[in-house]
Amino acid sequence: MMRKCHLNTCPVGVATQDPVLRARFSGQPEHVVNYFFFVAEEVRELMAQLGVRTFDELIGRADLLDMKKGIAHWKAQGLDYSRIFYLPNVPAEVPRLHRETQDHGLDKALDRQLVVLAKPALEKGEKVNIDLPVRNINRTVGAMLSGEVAKRYGHAGLPNDTIHIRLNGTAGQSFGAFLARGVTLELVGEGNDYVGKGLSGGRIIVRPKAEFRGDTPQNIIVGNTVLYGATEGEVYFAGVAGERFAVRNSGATAVVEGVGDHGCEYMTGGTVVVLGETGRNFAAGMSGGVAYVLDEDGTFEQRCNMAQVALEPLPEEIAARKGSESGDELESHGRVDIDHLTMGDELILKGLIERHVRFASSVRAREILNNWGLWRKKFVKVFPHEYRRALTEMAQQREAEKEAA
Amino acid sequence: MGKPTGFMEYQRLSEAYEPVDKRLKTYKEFVVRLTDEQASVQGARCMDCGIPFCNNGCPVNNIIPDWNDLVYRGHWREAIEVLHSTNNFPEFTGRICPAPCEAACTLNINTDAVGIKSIEHAIIDKAWEEGWVVPQPAEVKTGKKVAVVGSGPAGLAAAQQLARAGHDVTVFEKNDRIGGLLRYGIPDFKMEKSLIDRRVEQLQAEGVVFRTGVLVGAQNVPAGIVNDAKQVVSAEQLKQDFDAVVLAGGSEIPRDLPVPGRELGGVHYALEFLIPQNKQVAGDKPNPISAKGKHVVVIGGGDTGSDCVGTSNRHGAASVTQFELMPMPPEQENKALTWPYWPTKLRTSSSHEEGCERDFAVATKEFIGKNGKVKALKACRLEFKDGKMSEVPGSEFEIKADLVLFAMGFTQPVGGVLEAFGVDKDARGNAKASTDGAGSYTTNVPKVFAAGDMRRGQSLVVWAIREGRQCARAVDEFLMGESLLPR
Repeated sequence: MMRKCHLNTCPVGVATQDPVLRARFSGQPEHVVNYFFFVAEEVRELMAQLGVRTFDELIGRADLLDMKKGIAHWKAQGLDYSRIFYLPNVPAEVPRLHRETQDHGLDKALDRQLVVLAKPALEKGEKVNIDLPVRNINRTVGAMLSGEVAKRYGHAGLPNDTIHIRLNGTAGQSFGAFLARGVTLELVGEGNDYVGKGLSGGRIIVRPKAEFRGDTPQNIIVGNTVLYGATEGEVYFAGVAGERFAVRNSGATAVVEGVGDHGCEYMTGGTVVVLGETGRNFAAGMSGGVAYVLDEDGTFEQRCNMAQVALEPLPEEIAARKGSESGDELESHGRVDIDHLTMGDELILKGLIERHVRFASSVRAREILNNWGLWRKKFVKVFPHEYRRALTEMAQQREAEKEAA
Repeated sequence: MGKPTGFMEYQRLSEAYEPVDKRLKTYKEFVVRLTDEQASVQGARCMDCGIPFCNNGCPVNNIIPDWNDLVYRGHWREAIEVLHSTNNFPEFTGRICPAPCEAACTLNINTDAVGIKSIEHAIIDKAWEEGWVVPQPAEVKTGKKVAVVGSGPAGLAAAQQLARAGHDVTVFEKNDRIGGLLRYGIPDFKMEKSLIDRRVEQLQAEGVVFRTGVLVGAQNVPAGIVNDAKQVVSAEQLKQDFDAVVLAGGSEIPRDLPVPGRELGGVHYALEFLIPQNKQVAGDKPNPISAKGKHVVVIGGGDTGSDCVGTSNRHGAASVTQFELMPMPPEQENKALTWPYWPTKLRTSSSHEEGCERDFAVATKEFIGKNGKVKALKACRLEFKDGKMSEVPGSEFEIKADLVLFAMGFTQPVGGVLEAFGVDKDARGNAKASTDGAGSYTTNVPKVFAAGDMRRGQSLVVWAIREGRQCARAVDEFLMGESLLPR
């Protein structure tokens, strides 16, 4: 049948937004009910043939699987399945299915402490500062705390930086996952994979320890898949991130000093600033948002996936505006607030680099700002075609509304 | 593949027919092939659906989305190459195939299927006109000799594939011309016979030798089956002279209706009427059976019945009535239930359009004659309850009938040839051979293979082509140990 869900041409009206085709949809909820009845009936018949009454009796019964056809298939030649389908020789009373609840050790999570310490902020909106060590056994630090914020204040969260948590050490996976607005996580040390996963308005800073003597654009500070599916918020990393940086980001802002392969993959919104090298396949499937990439040796285009994006030089705007300094313009209520429709690129970029200095004390960022005129020319704007089209249409609409008013 | 939105922009355009009064005067084809531009637009309706059921709906697995796309883009030469890669004779199927591919077309789920058959027709006819259909003789000869018994679509497909694989192929045909049912079953107005002649020329140029008027195996051809043979070759001789034998003799025994009056004059099997007609059109002596001015009753509602209707009307019959045993099927199928399979629905052929009374759920009880000639037919109505057929009491009626034609299908191959080779039969009297895995198309007799209607029973031309092709591969593998012919 059809495998064209991406073309908007589904002829039975299932995977399409076209009203003409959608009118062809003939499905009824009852059909699904019917279908599942048939599935259930067939399963019941199969089970009856096997002499089995309940699903529980079926669990673990690899001996009942008909696997001849699968194993005899030529593609399976040379594979040994005996261990996968091994039946342990245990007495009947030993259960073969899930019988006891697992202990995930959630009561020992670092967030339990954070929630207690952040009580004044959660209950009265008072500013709270927390300072704690962190280890890589501490996963999803900040997620439960964010849950508490969201329970009380919803997605709007708390005023910016109400809860400021400084952690020392190496964080476990998913540091700052789903971090809510009003929470700042400042990690002195390094992150792991999935830092800022699903970031929801909070701010994450990761910077090296004071005794670090290396060059931050040459050193990894956070792992892979950072900012996966982030929707809002800002992150500042004084170092290099791993692969698939900001994959599926739809609205968060990030400053980083280098990324691995597949940066900004499938990104649909937000802003990413890269102050160092990138890996290959940058911007694959990127349909929205903007990335500003420092292209020191002019080789970035070779590593960028050009299927859906254009590369543009950064226009000189601030000098043209004469004296109007950036920085503060970028901030409203202390939060970063970027609008690609109304704000100039240079303004956005320079403002973000300034914030990177301020939050992450980045030596790299300071170096760039000190000689801005020279460095500015080395930045490339990665601009998805679709995003450009959307922005143009929105601008025209705004224009039309203005005229109408 | 065509244009992704083509199915929303363009309507299905079926091939036009010449007007009835004009076409009834001749035995020429009357289907007007699509122009290149029209075919291109029809190709654009193909959705590139992703899981093309047409590909499997088609018995020869034509790579339909690909050539739809090529026609849409105007790449006709590539289109015929893709089409020929799965089908030896698209000019036959492009005319007389019922097109199960179109029933399986994804577009057919809720709207009109892509006009696959009309596009196929356009591709192959253009290819012949442009001179793109040329002999493809084998570069290397194997020195192996293969006999093909029967020159219908299965035999011809097998012969062509085997010749292209480098074997020396001889085709044996008991009748005077090559083609089997293509030649002497399907009337010229459905498919002109020059199409077969030029294919035969192509096969000859590829090294195939044709021997007509030669009966293989046994002399005992039952009455009612047309047999022009002047010479008989025994099974033993064939096995001795050839490295392999392919039995593709079709399923010729027609279903009889042994009711009182069967022996009357004017009661015939369909092919007793159709074969001499095709011979007459080809320039031989006139058809001894004429429908002119007669009341014709055709018994059987299938394609052969249709051909009898069309031919009777061309003769100038006083009336043509067609009886079908089964009740009238619905005019529209329930696509949600039938797709992608071949639906049971009322099919009105071009011959029906030319003038014919159709009656369903009718059983013939008796032929009534005068002076040994049929004059009328006594029939009754049937009702079907819980899958059981019974006579409606008091529903008997009589209808004038000067010519009665039996078109109730074919039951099995002429037994003589299978018996002469000692080939095992299945329960239906067909040659017993499987179609997949090792030993496919092989019979119980060493180096004797079977394909087409002779193996599967009466079926479509396109199935015969499939079996001929697949059987050729089996023979090639048997002779050479391996085969590069397509599966």
